[in-house]
This record gives sequence, structure tokens and C-alpha cells, in this order.
Amino acid sequence: MQDARKANLSNHNPFVDVAAYLFLEDIGDKQGAAGMNNYLMSLATSLAKSMPKEEYSSWDDFLDSLQKGESIMSSFETVKCPTDYCVVTETCPFTRGWQEYTKRIGEFANIHREVAEYYNATVKPGAVDSQCIIHQTFRKAASERITVGGKRVRYAQIEAVTPNADDKRAPDEWLPILLDKAGVTETELNMTMRNNDCVWILYTE
Amino acid sequence: MLDVALVSLIKNMSEKAGIEGAIQYWSRVGENLAKRIGEEAYMGWPSFNVALKEGRTAYSIEGNVTALTDLAITDVDGDVVGYIYALEECVFTPTIERIRYSVGEIPEADRAVAEEYNNTVQNTAVCNFCVIHQKFRAEVSKNITVENQPLECVQLANRGFRGDTKIATRSLEKIGINPEYVRSLLRNYACVYGILMKGARLKGKEEVD
Repeated sequence: MQDARKANLSNHNPFVDVAAYLFLEDIGDKQGAAGMNNYLMSLATSLAKSMPKEEYSSWDDFLDSLQKGESIMSSFETVKCPTDYCVVTETCPFTRGWQEYTKRIGEFANIHREVAEYYNATVKPGAVDSQCIIHQTFRKAASERITVGGKRVRYAQIEAVTPNADDKRAPDEWLPILLDKAGVTETELNMTMRNNDCVWILYTE
Repeated sequence: MLDVALVSLIKNMSEKAGIEGAIQYWSRVGENLAKRIGEEAYMGWPSFNVALKEGRTAYSIEGNVTALTDLAITDVDGDVVGYIYALEECVFTPTIERIRYSVGEIPEADRAVAEEYNNTVQNTAVCNFCVIHQKFRAEVSKNITVENQPLECVQLANRGFRGDTKIATRSLEKIGINPEYVRSLLRNYACVYGILMKGARLKGKEEVD
């Protein structure tokens, strides 16, 4: 994607962002953390399914598209790939919205963290707040729409830090396996997280 | 990302809750947002207009709003009771562009929601997002006072991303502004509205209720 166009698309709109958070809180108030979690996951899955499928002949082609922002996996975030399978998000795409919320409304409502606890306990331990649920569910659903060399792409989450500096790393028993797949050491992961917001992996079976 | 995800749910929402349900949902979103932003008080119109210019009012969440100080709204005594304001870019334009490049098309339900709103609430929507936006403005005005007077907001004109326009002729007549003048404002602005003191005795045909 051309830089100018991408810059234009990344223009934030605080009205929509803040209204969307309040919309989700309204659902949380009515349906609790479980209902909100279902809603967030269906929201993200619905978004991924509305986007076009992709197929690549080689992993290098896919990585190239991913890092240029041409793949649906990088439609909403700028990513870089330190290894063939490790993907790093420099800035969480929700940062601007979160900043607008805290500037105009106040402290981020607790329901956003409560729903993440529910998600971590019932779906997969990887979310800090509601934003991570949307993001990680989207990545999973989007990866399922991509094939490389005829094989479906898989996604796994390693670590995320939110705009308010809360951090969530994959459980200890999963971490060595994930880091091995990513091709990075735990020390390299720590170094990467100093300057970036999210580390995840993409691979094929 | 969140905005694009929500748009992808419009179709789903309108199928489950019906078009009327979607309008009620969006209205509640606009209302909640206005309530959560809090109250404001200004000594007079100059201080309100300066706050608006500096991005300090609740209306500033919408982006660059210009107070058209050459378009004062006056009452029967000739006192200034409000002004016309214009939003440079619709707050949903970046969302729409993101949808265009990530998803491909705006859901059909977008038009359906706007049309239903025009038929059942007020004929001022060019897309489904106008429901949130216009409700937000109307509710925010209730939380702001100028010279200790509560305000009200009147939607006057807007231009959609498809180029279609809505001109609220009746509201313009009430505040004594020529609709053709407001139409020309849409060349430079996406949305035009009036903020005035609630209950003001206007020069127009009748008071704005």
C-alpha cells in the first residue's frame, strides 16, 4: 500500500472510536462479560469473513505482502518480521482510540479488563483487555482465509502490551514451543517488547 | 480497526434487531457518548466559540469545527442567540475509506438504516452513521450552557460520501437562513448545524421546538 494512502487510512476519528467503546460497554452492562466476549469475538470474526481471501505461492511472497501492508493480516497494523515466522506489531491499532477515550471520557471502564479475564479463562490466555480479544480473534479468523503453497496459515499469540502498559505473555508451558516456532529466544522477545506492542507468529502446518 | 469491525456488523444487527432496532442502538450510542463527556458552561458566545476553535468543547470530538461567526442566529429583539457551525470532514470518512480498502464495500444496510431514519425520525441522514452523530450533538447541547442558558442543536445540512445532500429547509426557515446559502457551504464542509439557546424567540416562522 502506498505510504500516502496508508497514512490517510490511519487517520483516526475519535468520535467513532470512543462511541464504539461505549457501544461495547453498553453490551457489557446488559450481557455481562460472557455476553460481551461472545459479541467481541463475533464482531472480529465477522470482520475477517467480510475481507477477501488470499493465496500465495511461497512463504516469501506472503511475508512480502504482510510487511507491505497488502495482506488482510496487516490491514490495520504496521508489522515487521524479524524471522520467517515471527511477526511484530509496532503500535497497537487501538492506541489512538484508547488515548481519545482516556482524554475525553476518563479511565478505561473495568468491563474491558473483566471480559479479557473471561476470554483468558475460557478461550485462550492472551488478552489484556477487550481490544486484544477483537484483535486476536480477527487475526485467527483472517489467517484462516489465507493459504501459502496450498496450505492454510495458522496464527498464535505470544505477547501483547496495551497502551496503558498492561502486559500479557503466553503461559509458561506454551512459551518455549511458541518461541521455538517463532525462531526467537526469550531474551530476544524481551528486547523486542521494549519498543513494540505485540509479538505473534504465523506458520503453516 | 474497531470502527471497521462495527460497520461489518451493521447487516447482522439490522437482521437481528430490525432496521428500527439498529436506529435505536445507534441513538443510544450517541446519547451515551454525550452523557459520558460531561457538562460545560461558558460566559458567552465568544468564549464558547473560542473553546470550540481550540478543541475544548464536547463538539470538538468530531474534528475541525468552524464557527461561522458571519452567520449569527438572532431572536426577535435582534440579540444573538446562537451561531451556525460547520464540520470540515465527516467523522466517518476515515472509517469509510478504511472499509473501502480493507473490506471492499459498505453494507447495504447502511442505506436502509438511513432511509428508515429519514422516514421515521427526521429527514437528515445521508448514511447510517448520521443517526449516532446527530443524536450525539442534540444530547451534548443539553449539557452545555452559554450565559447560564441551556442550548439546543439543530441539524441544518450535510453531504454524504456518495455526494448526496440533505438540507433541512424547515429548520433553516425557522432560524432565518437561506437554504441556498447553506447549500453553498456544503462545497467546503461536510455537515452544517446550528447551536442556539433553547427556547429562543426566533425571527423565523416559529420557534425551534
